[in-house]
Amino acid sequence: MTALFDKYAPLQTRVDMMMKIGADALGVKFDDILSATRGRIGNREILLAGTNNYLGLTFDEDCRAAAKTAVDDHGTGTTGSRVANGTYAEHTDLEQALAEHFGMPSCIVFTTGYQTNLAAISGLAGDKDVIFMDADAHACIIDGSRLTNASTIRFRHNNPEDLDKRLRRQGEIEGGNALVVIEGMYSMFGDIAPVDEFLDVTHRHGGYLFIDEAHSYGVFGPTGCGIAEEQGVLDQVDFISGTFSKSLASVGGFCASKHPQFEITRKVMRPYMFTASATPANICAARVAVEKVKTGGYLRENLKARAQQLHAGLKALDFDLCADPSPVIAVRRPNEGIAAMEWNWLMENGVYVNLAVPPGTPQSSSLLRISLSAAHTESDVNIIIDAFGRMKASQAEIMSGMMIRMQAAE
Amino acid sequence: MTAPTESEIYDKICELLKPYNPKGLPIERSSGIMSDLEVDSVAVFDFIMELEDHYDISIPMEMVSDIKTVGELSLAAKGLMS
Repeated sequence: MTALFDKYAPLQTRVDMMMKIGADALGVKFDDILSATRGRIGNREILLAGTNNYLGLTFDEDCRAAAKTAVDDHGTGTTGSRVANGTYAEHTDLEQALAEHFGMPSCIVFTTGYQTNLAAISGLAGDKDVIFMDADAHACIIDGSRLTNASTIRFRHNNPEDLDKRLRRQGEIEGGNALVVIEGMYSMFGDIAPVDEFLDVTHRHGGYLFIDEAHSYGVFGPTGCGIAEEQGVLDQVDFISGTFSKSLASVGGFCASKHPQFEITRKVMRPYMFTASATPANICAARVAVEKVKTGGYLRENLKARAQQLHAGLKALDFDLCADPSPVIAVRRPNEGIAAMEWNWLMENGVYVNLAVPPGTPQSSSLLRISLSAAHTESDVNIIIDAFGRMKASQAEIMSGMMIRMQAAE
Repeated sequence: MTAPTESEIYDKICELLKPYNPKGLPIERSSGIMSDLEVDSVAVFDFIMELEDHYDISIPMEMVSDIKTVGELSLAAKGLMS
C-alpha cells in the first residue's frame, strides 16, 4: 500500500538536489522589498530583475495613495464575492475605465490574473465549442479549458499557418464555435505573437480570438493596450484578458470584449462567482495605474531602451537568448543543474532573476529568465550584464564550489 | 490511401518517440509515456502534435490526458482514423 505523498517521491528527489546546490529558487524569501527594483535578504541588497514589474509602479506615489485611501474609506477586504456581497462602485469604475481604454463595450474584473483566464475561458466555451490554444499557452489557459466540456486542440507556437491547418482539419463545428486562445507576449521567452495574422486565420474560419495580454498590457502599443494595439488590430480582437499584477502594480485581472453579450458570463463563471472579489486597495491602486499606463509613453520608452541594452550586452557575452529584445529576456542554459548553480551564484552576487525549468518552460528549456522594469536605470542594467559576465568567467569556480556544497550535504 | 493498421501506427509512435527518449529506455505497448519513458507533460503534447500531423488527425488534449501507455495511444489514434 502506498502513502498519500508517495507520488511526489520523484519530485522530492529533484527538490532535494536543488537544495543541495543552494537555495530554493521557487521559494525565495525576501526580508524586505525596498522599491520596484530592490529587495533585501538579511543585510544584502538584491537587484530585482525577475518580478514582472514592467512599469515599476508598485511604489508609485499616486498608486500607493489610492490604495491607502481605499483602505480608510472602504475597509481592508470585501469578505465575499460580488454575487453574494455586491459590487463596490470602485469595481464598476475600474471596469468602465478598462473598457474605455480598449474601446470595447464590456469589461469584467477578477480577483487574480490566474482566475481571469479560468473564468473567462470556462465562461465562453461550452460543450459543443472547440478551443484552439497555442502550444506555449500559460497554465491558466490550460486549466481554464479543463473547466469546460469543450474539446481542446493545441497548435504550434506562434504559427498561424498551423492554426489554419488545424481549423481546416476540424471542419465545421456542429452547434458550436472555435475559440482561439493566444498570448500577446509569452512569459517565458518574451516572444511576440503575430496577432494580425492570427486574427485573419481565426475570423476566416468564423472563430473568435481571445488574447491574453498579461505580460504585454502597459508595455506595448501607443497607449499601452498591448500587442494588438501595437499591431493596429485592437478593434478586431474579440476578447482581451490581462492582469493587475504586472504593469498595473496590484493584484487582480480583467477581460474586455467587443461583444456586449460578454456581460452574461457574470452569471456562469464559477471563478468569478465563487471567490471573494478584489479588495478596495487592489482595485483603487489598479485604477490609478490604468491612467499611468495610458500616458506612460515615457515609461515604455525607457523599458524598451533597457531591453535593447540588456539584450545587446548579453549577446556580446555570447549568451544564447530565446527571442528578440523585449522586457522578458530569457537566457538558455545547458541543463537544469547548471542553471540552478548559476541562479544561486547570481543571488549571492546580488541579482535576482527567475530560474525556469521543465515542464514550466517551452522546448524543455532550462532558463535564467530576466524581466525588466521601466524603473531600472541604465546603471542597473549594467550591473545585470556585469554579473552575467562575471558568472560566465567564473564557471569553473562556480561548478567546483557547488560540488563541494553537494558533497558536504551528503 | 488505405488506413494504416494499428500495428503500423504503433511502429510510427515508437519512431516518433525516439527523440523524446534520450536514455533509450525500452519501448513496449505497456510502457507509460510519462511514467516509464520519462517524457515530461509539455513534451508529451509536442510529440502528440507530430503524430497528429503525420496522420492528419486531431487528438484533443482531454483525450491525451486519459492516455497513459504507448499501446493506449496507438489504439486511440487508430480509433480516430476509422
